[in-house]
This record gives sequence, C-alpha cells and structure tokens, in this order.
Amino acid sequence: MNMTIIQLTFRSLLGRKRALLLIPMPFILIGLTLIGRIAHPDATDWQQPIIIGLGFAVIVPVLSLIIGSSVIGSEIDDGTIVHILTKPLPRSEIVISKLLVAAGATGLVNGVMMFICGWLINGARMAIGLAAGGLVASICYCALFLALSVVSRRPVLIGLVYILLWEGLLTNLLTGTRSLSIAQFGVTIAARIGDQSYFVPTLSAAVAVIMSVVFVVVSTFIAIDRLRSLTMAGETS
Amino acid sequence: MMAGINAPNGAIHDIGYQRYRGERLGRSYIRKSLYAHGLRTAFGFGRSGKAKIFPWFVVGVLLLVAIIMVVIRSQTGLSPTTYVGFTSSTSLLPLLFLATSGPELVSRDLRSKVLPLYFSRPLGRSDYAFAKLAALISAAWLILAVPLTVMFAGAAFSLPAHKIWHEFTQYLQGLVGAAILAIVYSVVALLIASLLNRRMVAAAAIVAVFLVTSTVGNAISVLVGGDGDRIGRLLGPQPLVQALNQWLLLGDPKDFGNWGWIFTAVSAALVAACVALLSLRYRKVSA
Amino acid sequence: MNSVELESVSLWYGNVVAVNDVSMSLGPGVTGLLGPNGAGKTTVLHMMAGFLPPSRGTVTIGGATAWRNPEIYRKVGIVVEREAVPSFLTGYEFVLASARLQKLDDPVGAAQRAITLVEMNDAAGRKMDTYSKGMRQRTRVAAALVHEPDVLLLDEPFNGMDPRQRMHMMDLLHTMGEAGRTVLFSSHILEEVEQVSGTVQVIVAGRLAASGDFRTIRRLMTHRPHVFAIRSNDDRRLAVALLAEHSVAGVDVAATGLEVRASDYGAFTRALPKIAIREGVRVSQLRPSDESLESVFSYLVAQ
Repeated sequence: MNMTIIQLTFRSLLGRKRALLLIPMPFILIGLTLIGRIAHPDATDWQQPIIIGLGFAVIVPVLSLIIGSSVIGSEIDDGTIVHILTKPLPRSEIVISKLLVAAGATGLVNGVMMFICGWLINGARMAIGLAAGGLVASICYCALFLALSVVSRRPVLIGLVYILLWEGLLTNLLTGTRSLSIAQFGVTIAARIGDQSYFVPTLSAAVAVIMSVVFVVVSTFIAIDRLRSLTMAGETS
Repeated sequence: MMAGINAPNGAIHDIGYQRYRGERLGRSYIRKSLYAHGLRTAFGFGRSGKAKIFPWFVVGVLLLVAIIMVVIRSQTGLSPTTYVGFTSSTSLLPLLFLATSGPELVSRDLRSKVLPLYFSRPLGRSDYAFAKLAALISAAWLILAVPLTVMFAGAAFSLPAHKIWHEFTQYLQGLVGAAILAIVYSVVALLIASLLNRRMVAAAAIVAVFLVTSTVGNAISVLVGGDGDRIGRLLGPQPLVQALNQWLLLGDPKDFGNWGWIFTAVSAALVAACVALLSLRYRKVSA
Repeated sequence: MNSVELESVSLWYGNVVAVNDVSMSLGPGVTGLLGPNGAGKTTVLHMMAGFLPPSRGTVTIGGATAWRNPEIYRKVGIVVEREAVPSFLTGYEFVLASARLQKLDDPVGAAQRAITLVEMNDAAGRKMDTYSKGMRQRTRVAAALVHEPDVLLLDEPFNGMDPRQRMHMMDLLHTMGEAGRTVLFSSHILEEVEQVSGTVQVIVAGRLAASGDFRTIRRLMTHRPHVFAIRSNDDRRLAVALLAEHSVAGVDVAATGLEVRASDYGAFTRALPKIAIREGVRVSQLRPSDESLESVFSYLVAQ
C-alpha cells in the first residue's frame, strides 16, 4: 500500500545474511522429489513424508518464520522502526505494506518450490494444487509471525514452539484442533485442487479457506493495533 | 606503601591504592566457574523472569509426560514406553531446550562483543568452548534424567522387590540413552549457535537444521529401498541418535546388524568433528 | 499552531516515578531541556514525541494529543538519541525516504534542501554504515527537517559531533528558533545549552525544577549569595568598607581583585556605588561571576 515502505522492506530483506539460510531448503525438497520420481515413479508411497513431512511441515513454516518475523521484527529490535513510526502514516498502511513484502517473497519461493515438486509428481494439476497450498500457507504464516513480532520481543521462539509443538505434535494427536493448524490448511487446499489420491485432505475446502482468511485478518488486526501502542524501549532492552 | 611524589607543577597522591598480592586461582577455577555459570544460564537462573520461561516450560512438559507414564503404569501395570523410548519420543523437547539455551550461552557473548574480555584472562580458547559445551550437555542430560528418575521412582514403588533390579537396569539404560542424545544434540546445537550472534536467528537455524536433516533422512529411508533405511538414519542428528539408542540399548541387534557399528562410528565422528570445529571457531576472535 | 503543552504530566513504571507532575508550555524559539542523566529528560521528550502515554496529565502539540496520533508527525520532527539507521541506505536515500513517507509534493527537492542545510552534500551518496557518528547524526537531523516542521524535538543532538559540527548545528537550531519554530533539545552538557538558548527547562529527578531564562532563574535564587568580581584602584579600602554593609556576606581579597558574596542582590547593587563614592575608590570592573548556567544548575540539583 505504501510503495516507499515496500521498497525499503524489500531492500532490507535482500541485504540480510539470513537469506543464506533460506537458499538450500527449497533445493533440498526439489532434489528429494526428483530422487523419488526417479526411484519410485508411483508417488503414493513417498509423497507423504517428503511433501507433507518436509515441505508443508518444515520448509514452508520455517521459511515464513524467518522472513515474516524479520520484516518488522528486526526493525523493532535494532530501533530503526522509529524512522517509520514518526511519519504521518496510518499504522494499517505500514503493517499491510510489510505483510505484502513478506507474503510475496515467501509465497513466491514456496509456491515455485511446490509447483516444481507437484509437476514432478503428477503434472500440471498437482503442480497448481501444491503451489496454491504453499501460497496460502505462506500468507497465513507470514501474517501470524508478523503479528507475533509486534506483540512479543521473541517472536522466533514463540513461532518455533508453534511450529514444533502445536503443528508438529498436538494437532496431529488431537484431531479436533486440526482446523487451527496452518499446515493443514495448506495440505487441504493442495489436496482439493490437486489430486486427492495423493494427499488425503483432513478438512473441507470451505473450512480451510475460511480459517485461512480468519488467521490472516485477525493477525493483521492485532499487529496494527499493537503497532499503534508500540512504546520505544530505552537503550537497554 | 608508596609515598606521594611531588613535583613542582604536579603531584601524585597516595590514596592508599594497593596491588593485589594474594592468591590467584588458576585455569581450572575459571573453567569450573564458566561451567557453573553456563549451567545456570541454560536454565535462566540469574536473569529476568522471561529468560526462565522457555527452559522451564520444556522441563514442565517433560515432567508432565513422565508423571502421566507413571500414572498409566500404576493403573494398568503396563508401561507405554521404555526409558530409552521416552527419550526418543520426546526428542523434540530437548531440541527446543537446546535451541533456546545454546544461543543464550554463546550467541549473547558474540552479540555484546565481550569475547576479548574473556580471552584476555588466563583462559585457553578451547577452555571457553569446552566449558560451555559441558554446561550445555549437562543441562540437556538433566532435563531428561530427572523425568526418567521420576518414572523409575514411580515404578519402584509399585513393583515387587525382585523386579526392581531389572527395572533399575532399564533405568540406567535410559540414562545412557539420554546422555548420548544430550551429547550429540548439544554439540551440533552449540556449533550452530556459535556462528550466529543473534539468539533468535540461531534458534531458528538450530531447529531448521535438525528438522530438515531428520525429514530428509526419513524421506531417503522411505524412497530408497534396502539399505536406504539405514542410510537415511545417518543423515541427521535426530534419526542417528534414535537409531543408535535403538541398536545399543533396546537390544534388538538383528534389526540393524552391522549397521549398528556404523551408527556408532558416525555418531562419534560427528561429535569429534563438531568439537574440533567449535574449538577452531574460537581461535580467531575479533574485538 | 506550534506550541507544545504539558499539563500536570506524570509517568510511572510500577513503583518508579519517572516524571512527576511536570507542566510546561513551549513556544517559538529554542528551549533547552536540561537535567542530569536519569532525570527524566528522555522520558519527557518521548512523551512529547508520542512514543509514550503519560500515566496522568495531557501532552498536546498544537492542541492535538501526541499519543496514538500519527497525524502530529506532519508538523513535528524528531531526532532520537538512539543512533540506529538502516545501514544499507545512502544518506540521500534515507532523507529522500523520509520525505516520501511524509507525503511531500516534491520529495527530491525537499531532500536536497535538507541535506544542504546540514552540510552533508559530499557524503550523501555513500552508504550510511560508512558514516562517522557525527555524520549519521546530521543526516538524521536532515531527515527530521525535510518536511519543515513547526516543532523540532532533539534528544542529545550534539552527541558525537566535533566542535565545528557542533557550532554549525547550534547555528542551525538558532536559525530555526528565530524563524518561529519551536525547538526543544535535551542535554546534560551545560555549555551547549548556554550557547544555544537562554530559555531552559530544568528537570531533576522527574520534577521540573525551574523554567525560563536562566539568568532570571539565577536572580530568583535568593537563598544563595551572589558572587561578584570587583576590581578597583584600592581593593583593600573598598573591602573594609564593604564588610560594614549588611547586604555583604563576605569578601575575599585576591591578587586579581575582590570577590564579594552578596546575600541581597538588589541591596548590594544599590549600595556599591554609594560606598565607592564615599571612600573615593574608583571601581574599574564589576562582574557577576556566577551567573553561568552551571551555578544555576548545581544549585537546583543540590536542592
């Protein structure tokens, strides 16, 4: 929404060393899918641990965590957020601009990665399905982690707990909570658009879409509201 | 003492400053202090309340699981998991603990650039690294050992006397399994943390490395037939430790055959390599 | 409207009271916010800048509340103490971004004017992480001035500047004050405040200890004797006569002249000429020797 903020955020994202962490992960997923394709052309055996176990459960959230928490989190951390906050900009403009950059960058990387993997597994429909699932999951994660980074000073740790314990453990054990797990939204959308013989969706398409929207909207509202009340911590933080 | 020196335009005043002429404690004292301090830091002692949240959250969850095991066992007489199995199935929790405590130990020093202060003391480079490593390993082992002890205590009270010895040997195996996990995980985690000076990025990196390697290993196990299953387990610290504990302690050698020795060798090599890298890392420290 | 009003403002964190019932009204011109470290200057400034809400009282700029009101930044420029800047930007890009975010009509022109004003033209094309501390400071001031704000708040702006830069910055602030802008800067270095502005707000331990022209404040400090340096053609004779005067608290005779401590400023200044004429002593120099801000300040801090 605000081009200047979008440009600044994008440039700052590119300049960080964290970007190095992100490069190997998509390649690993694509590489494994390739190996699987060559070794077992029928993907029904191995799509589960790779695409879901590695892709949706690890790579998509971790990538989103690293990018989503840094678009605003690193500026709050080092204090440069003050230069943006002392301007007559509505806070919603700031949050949405940064969310666009984060979701755009993560969505692009995850989407392309999933598209290629989907193509390798079963052609165009799978590719589109996986890409859509990856994109939706990325957007939801970014919104969540961006809100966390405004609300808390340690968003990465909380995000890790969310990924490891909530999505990794509990939502697998307690089926009722599945509608609160972003990974499930992504997998569901991938399955519903793609081919259901490969992935069994755990939710209905409607629930996945609605809950995704809810996650994004609620997270963004929280982020905007808390940004309005952001107090500048002193030098010692 | 030194008398004041007077010169025409200036004077040095004797304000009673004295040089320290007492006993100076040596390197081993420094090492012990660093170790103790590291152990306390890993659990958040000596710092604000917020620093205690994550470590004690992990401890709490582990204790809770152990207590649930005890209750189940006392009700049904069956134990859902062995002591070694407990370590394997809850390995996410020690990982989370290490991801937060490892960076607390080393990344903070990097961020605030205090390393020159440390190393301008009679402290060897590797002393610093090994003391911190020992502290982290101890902490990781403790958070597993205490729940295991709770499980053993719970079992011991409800078992007839002749079965207690067997239970005790199982418990000891569990402790060994926990030690292996603590050592391998801590070495990798600390190495990663020592390369990054922001705690949050280090935490994300540690978790990312562990998770990606274990899911990749998992995937290879599934994809590649035959020995692929074994190879897959070599690819990450998490599957490696699990396989090693399974072979060594759960006592089903025919499952892995000779691969068991390979697991052991690879684990030892991984630990040795990480330790060497860690001590190399601190060889050059910029101001 | 460009006045900054604080009315009975207090701020506390738990049991610690950082700012205690401070009321002040700042108008056009330069005001120095003076106080020892930890007195609450930065907290007061942060409240004016809309970074913190007061626990009690109101903080308004031109009638509008400062807290949770991004619109005030159209007419307020702020330079915080913390030095962090996006290091990947050049100085010019940083000021330009500031201009753009202020939604100015001609951001490029405004940015160039601001950079020229702080004399950073030569280095504006370099990345900010190659700048020295003073250069970064000046660039941040440029970014705060780019929208020609009515109110300018600066927290310890002279930190890290060499004497030449400092003089330039003082001139700049002075010019802005003369032009009718409300400029507030905080400092714990007395010489800085003395040279830039006559008006001070002194904050000690969270309370407003004094406000206004510091010379006037000095005169209001009646409990403390005023010290005068006097040279005459017969110091000793004058000294003896002065000691008889009851507005004189003490006289020191030194090689450089007399140092007279007067307990009543007004009475002494009226009495001195009469005494000099009566004794036939010619006074060649009469100087109040402690009307510096430092003496005012030390007195207030010691209260």
